[in-house]
Amino acid sequence: MEIIALVGNPNSGKTTLFNALTGANQKTGNYPGVTVSRVSGVLRTPHGNKFELLDLPGCYSLTPKAPDERITRDVLLGDQQGSELPSAVVCVVDASNLERHLYLVLQVIDLGLPVVVALNKVDLAEKLGLRINVELLSEELGLPVVPCQANRGKGVLDLKHAMRHPLPHPSRRKWQASKQTESAIHDLTAKLESEGMQKPSAHAVHLLADAGYRGEDQPALDPSIQSLAVDLASVCAREGVSTEEEISQARTQWVQSICKVAARRQGVDAQAGGLTTSDKIDQVLLHPVWGWAFFVGLMFVVFWSIFSLSEYPMGWVEMGIDALKQGVSTLMPDGDVKDLVNDGVIGGVGSVVIFLPQILLLLFFIGLMETTGYMARAALLMDGVMSKVGLSGRAFLPLLSSYACAIPGIMATRSMDSAKQRLLTILIAPWMSCTARLPVYSLLIGMLLAGYGAAVQALVLGGIYGLGTVSALFAAWLLAPKVKGEEEVSHFLMELPSYSKPDVSFIVRHLVERAWSFLRKAGTVILGLCILLWALETYPKPKEGSPAADDPALALEQSYMGRMGHAIEPLVKPLGYDWRTGTALVAAFAAREVFNANLAISYSVEEADDEDKFLEQLRGKLAKATWPDGRKVYTPLTTMSLLVFFVYALQCLPTTVVVRRETGSWKWAIGQLVGMTAVAWLAAFTVYQVGSLLS
Amino acid sequence: MIADIASDLKVDSAMTLSKASAGCQLRIRQLAGSACQRLREIGFCEELEISKLSDGRNMICSVCGTRLALSKKLGDQVLVEMV
Ligand SMILES: Nc1nc2c(ncn2[C@@H]2O[C@H](COP(=O)(O)OP(=O)(O)OP(=O)(O)O)[C@@H](O)[C@H]2O)c(=O)[nH]1
Ligand SMILES: [Mg+2]
Repeated sequence: MEIIALVGNPNSGKTTLFNALTGANQKTGNYPGVTVSRVSGVLRTPHGNKFELLDLPGCYSLTPKAPDERITRDVLLGDQQGSELPSAVVCVVDASNLERHLYLVLQVIDLGLPVVVALNKVDLAEKLGLRINVELLSEELGLPVVPCQANRGKGVLDLKHAMRHPLPHPSRRKWQASKQTESAIHDLTAKLESEGMQKPSAHAVHLLADAGYRGEDQPALDPSIQSLAVDLASVCAREGVSTEEEISQARTQWVQSICKVAARRQGVDAQAGGLTTSDKIDQVLLHPVWGWAFFVGLMFVVFWSIFSLSEYPMGWVEMGIDALKQGVSTLMPDGDVKDLVNDGVIGGVGSVVIFLPQILLLLFFIGLMETTGYMARAALLMDGVMSKVGLSGRAFLPLLSSYACAIPGIMATRSMDSAKQRLLTILIAPWMSCTARLPVYSLLIGMLLAGYGAAVQALVLGGIYGLGTVSALFAAWLLAPKVKGEEEVSHFLMELPSYSKPDVSFIVRHLVERAWSFLRKAGTVILGLCILLWALETYPKPKEGSPAADDPALALEQSYMGRMGHAIEPLVKPLGYDWRTGTALVAAFAAREVFNANLAISYSVEEADDEDKFLEQLRGKLAKATWPDGRKVYTPLTTMSLLVFFVYALQCLPTTVVVRRETGSWKWAIGQLVGMTAVAWLAAFTVYQVGSLLS
Repeated sequence: MIADIASDLKVDSAMTLSKASAGCQLRIRQLAGSACQRLREIGFCEELEISKLSDGRNMICSVCGTRLALSKKLGDQVLVEMV
């Protein structure tokens, strides 16, 4: 299948267009750097042709500064291994920003591939009073230009028509450089041609336009070619010509001249001193005092609604669980199978699924921030704080995504241009509490603050998230000198997209997808683990007539799990946990949510008040649990120590695998796993021991 | 080095973007420094008219209708004149 690539500046709407063209549901957001890897889908044109459509990370130019931009360049030059050269490129440009976006179009034209320009966000351009003469633009560029509005699906059909076979002829280079540069391009092209390289002139221009490309390790390029390019560039330099400067200037000049004729700004314009609505909002949201007040207030609202708004949906889930339990009790005969279904399956999986509404609420708020354009502002606001620990505000974007899940957060660091900052951000990202911890936090906070309202619980939850975040920043400060890289803090440079209405339909689709994948996980991995845990806690069964036969608690102690639990008890006792909590902690290394499930299963032997609802029963059983000497296990101190353990422990193997892939070394991945777990143990130990001394 | 270039220009009104005061309409004269290409690619091109909207740790500029936030260090690499 032939490949068509979507290319454009960050936030120009490539992914939105990709979704519209292929029917996919890839993540979009109103801030630069959402897509960080190549994603492919199938595109069918009205003429019945099938193409493979590639969505690529956004970039300002084909001279990459960050790893995600390198992916785009390598795909377009055909340098990426295992991927064919695209047979055409759709350049997505933001019509309201034509002057800035055409630079990349020009670079893509120079690659000598057929190009179609998708003039996206025409609605915004119109609102700004920008008149674009599409025909003239198309003539000047020598390419089809299709106006569209991707988020409403407008112009998508026209775009498909424009991609009809045979694809439009490759366009020619538009600009001219000085004699020296031109002759260097000519010589290099000849050499590349003789080497049988694909797209010789594209590579030649690129080699001379980007010193990084000449110098870096490029498996697709012969070293002799790179050294010829270096020689040619230095010949030019001796004559006072910098090939990079010249090529980039020639391109910008051409863009400016074309914009003068094809795009006219009229009416009130920010350029003339007028402030747009976005500017007015920014005057408040980026204000040194009000901006922070808003940020803190927003966070409080998020945490408060996690406890208060989720009450009803959680009640519904609970009703479902209780009804299931009722049904099983009345319908199934007593025996192992009934116990398995009741305690292992319903109790275990239920103790995780019940927190789904809270997870969805948190994701909803993150979605709101991502689609309105607040993300970029939050990063700007945070820059001051982050720079104190040697990070740039740019690092805040991946960190914020990590509150949903560390893995996309770590992937999102690909859009950071400084390798050092990127590594630091990857190393601390798992301390941003992800949604897998939310069920654990919520169960424990409910016990710790049983009699308090949603506001107090929200403050404590906010404190827990704050603890993780502050510790992460502190860790970055400690690690910064140990990580190799440039000493200087990389400078903040970011586009602030204008605010837009939250894309509720996208958020809802995204939430449905997340809910579905959560339920799938609950129904597979967590269910499987629950059954395994239940079996470990039930077998071997005590012999008839032995003392354990009538005492379920004793039977549990003698089970496989009981024996394992007692083996690890010395490790967790100093933290204030009994062996049942200890085994739950170990099981949580498979998936954090399993902590709840394991507690639910291993404490199912305790007496419960049948009147209580599912969650109250579970908390009630935990509250009643005692040490052999009769002291309570779940004192406020134990609960706090557990909360602290969960803030710091890296109990997520997929994260470790992704860290290994993104950093390219097991050293960092394993170091992070061991380091974070050690810190978790020490912090929980300190909380429990110091707390015990004080009380 | 930046100071040298500024004096070479011998334009009275030339200054760095960081020094310009907020609310001004400016024209970019020249880019000088290590991040020059990065700045040009994101939109700070020679001869372009921009306006500086706010100052602070990071300043905000309007470039062709887009808002770009950049740090003082980067602002020092952009030489501008008042229009
Ligand atoms: N007003 C308007 N907004 C649009 C249009 N197309 C996309 N958007 C919005 O623009 C924002 C960016 O869209 P994305 O598709 O994520 O942009 P992208 O080019 O994939 O961005 P990166 O992956 O970061 O490079 C989203 O908030 C979209 O809702 C359009 O035609 N008009
Ligand atoms: Mg995208």
